[in-house]
This record gives sequence, C-alpha cells and structure tokens, in this order.
Amino acid sequence: MKSKVQTRLFIALLSLIMFAISATICSSQGKTVRVQCKVNTGPCWAHISGTKVSLDIEPKPVKAMHDLTFTVTFAGENPVAAPYIDLGMPGMNMGRNRVILKPAGELVYRGEGVIVRCPSGRRTWKAKVTVPDVGSVEFVFDVIY
Amino acid sequence: MLSTETIYFVLFTTGLTVGFGHCIGMCGPIVVSLSLSLKGRSVLVPHLLYNGGRITTYGLLGGVMGATGSFTRVVASIASLQKGVMILTGMLIVVMGLAMAGWIPLGVIFGDYYNPQGVLSRGFRKLSEARSTGTYYPLGMLLGLLPCGPVYTALLAAARAGMETQSTLEGLLIGVGIMLSFGLGTVVALLLIAKLTDLGWLKRRDVIYKISSVLMVIVGVYFVVKAIRY
Repeated sequence: MKSKVQTRLFIALLSLIMFAISATICSSQGKTVRVQCKVNTGPCWAHISGTKVSLDIEPKPVKAMHDLTFTVTFAGENPVAAPYIDLGMPGMNMGRNRVILKPAGELVYRGEGVIVRCPSGRRTWKAKVTVPDVGSVEFVFDVIY
Repeated sequence: MLSTETIYFVLFTTGLTVGFGHCIGMCGPIVVSLSLSLKGRSVLVPHLLYNGGRITTYGLLGGVMGATGSFTRVVASIASLQKGVMILTGMLIVVMGLAMAGWIPLGVIFGDYYNPQGVLSRGFRKLSEARSTGTYYPLGMLLGLLPCGPVYTALLAAARAGMETQSTLEGLLIGVGIMLSFGLGTVVALLLIAKLTDLGWLKRRDVIYKISSVLMVIVGVYFVVKAIRY
C-alpha cells in the first residue's frame, strides 16, 4: 500500500517537472518570425508587420561576456515607441536579459548589453527585437566564447 | 527602470522558471549526487544548507556587482576561480559515483589506511562521507561559483540596477537583494529533485544505484572536459 502511494507520488512529481520544463521551453518560443543572421559580417534585415528593420551588433566579432552595442535601424517611418531587445538562447530559458534602446539619430535606436556565456558550450543566441504595438522579430546568430 | 519591489519579484519568478527549465539540467546531477551520498539520511536539512550556501554566494556576488555597477569586469576577475570550481566539482562527482557503486575503496584511498592525517585525505573524506550536515553549507557556497547562464543574467541585472543607484551602499544592497530573490526562486526545483532522489523505494534498488553511479561518472567527466574548454 505504502509502496503504491510512493509510486504515485513519484509519477506525480515527474509529471510536474516535465510539465514545467515543457512550459518553460514553449514559453521561450511563440509565433514571432525567426531570421537566421550572420551578425559578424554586417547588419541583418527583417520585416516587422511590413516595416523593414535591421539589427547590428558591435564590436565584431560578437563575443559573449563583453560589452556590446546593439543598433536597430528602421527603413521608412519612425516607430511610435522605442523598440527594445530581449536576448536569449533558442529553446532555453536564460532569464530576462533586456537591452533598452534609445534614439540615436534619424530612424536609429541604440543600446548597450551583454550576451552571457552558457557552460553547455552552445553558441547560438537570439535577439528578439520588439516594437511596442507593432510586433517583433527574432534574429538568430552565433557568438564567440 | 522597474521599482525595487518589482525587480525583486521579476528575479524571483525568473529563478523559479529557470529552476525547472535550466537548473534541473545543469545542477540536477550535482543535487542527485549529494542526495545519494547521504545514504538513507534525510535530505531536507543538508539540501536546505546546500541551497543556503549557494544563495549566500549569489548574494555576495550580487553585492559586488551592484556596488561596482560593472558586470564584465567582475566576471573577468573571477573567471579562473569559476573554472577551478567546475573542475573540482566534476572530479568530486566522479569520485562520489565510483565510491557509491563500490568500485573504489574510498576509505583505503582517502583515509583509513593511506596517510590518514593528510589534509587532502581528511578533506576528501569529510566531503565524500559528509558526516557533518554543516558541510553542505560551505559546499553550497563553493558550488554557487559554478559558471551558469541564468546566474550571469541575474548578475547582469544586479550590475545594471547598481549603476542607476545614487551611492555604492545602495548599489550593494540592491545587488544583494536581486541575487537573493533570484536564488530563492531556484531553490524550489532543486529541492524537488533532491526529494525525488530520496524516495525510499528508489534508493533501495541496487540497479538504480549502479546506473546512477555510471551517470555520475559520465557527468563528472563532462564537467571536467567542459571546464578545461571553458
């Protein structure tokens, strides 16, 4: 009887953990458009609800654990609110790492941030550029450790 | 900038979510190793102490980040130390795995017959047998230094918050608060893993011990290799 209860408890705990893991992984994905990006060769371009947006990261090559400057440039009209960038790894919750962007000229927004290093050795990161009330796009790129 | 209360709450929930998604994968093997090494004793107090030690280190690092307001400079200065801790942890897990399966006579190698008064022998024996529950607190403090992506992200938040404060003391306090909030959030998942490993029927099965031993050796070697390449 006791063994049966323990088995059920084990299965319940295991299910809870699996649910939490899948929920965490799924929450990091979503319907945002994802674009592969060779950020070390130059700016990457994508569209957010019809607006052309570029992302550039300096200095190059882009290294983890270093101070980086993120530049988002719009082609066409200025957005109604300043965009921001959330840094993370595809399929892995790394915690909230947001880069606040400020106006740095005509249609240009700039901010400072750091891409942290993952001991797993995975080098693929994503920068999710969000324009409030418009939409977002994820730029996926490799960094140097 | 978010209010202090909000940022503490955000970091606590971050710790809670990455605890289940990330910490189980990265720190789970350590927690399982520590649980199995308790050999039948209750896991709750040792694991609370282990987590307490881990959070203490997070708090101290958060204080330094908040006071200096610089993430990259501080992590650069502790990089070698983190690498050393990662290698030590890997070796510890390998030895614990081998000893748990009875494949190495830990007493003979580290204490009972060979150089029993040696510092290394006594230290290793204390760690491996963990006779004193209090050992888990300094062990947690040491393992809190392990390099970890979400911990870096939380430290980054502490440094950013520190940059926006008016004084060094204020930066230090907010940095400590942020990292304590984050650390507390991660405790839930790791305690659950510890408790899961402690289930009596699971621990009584020799085959599970053997499989766990092999996995611990593999994980330990993985830690060492990763540390060398880190």
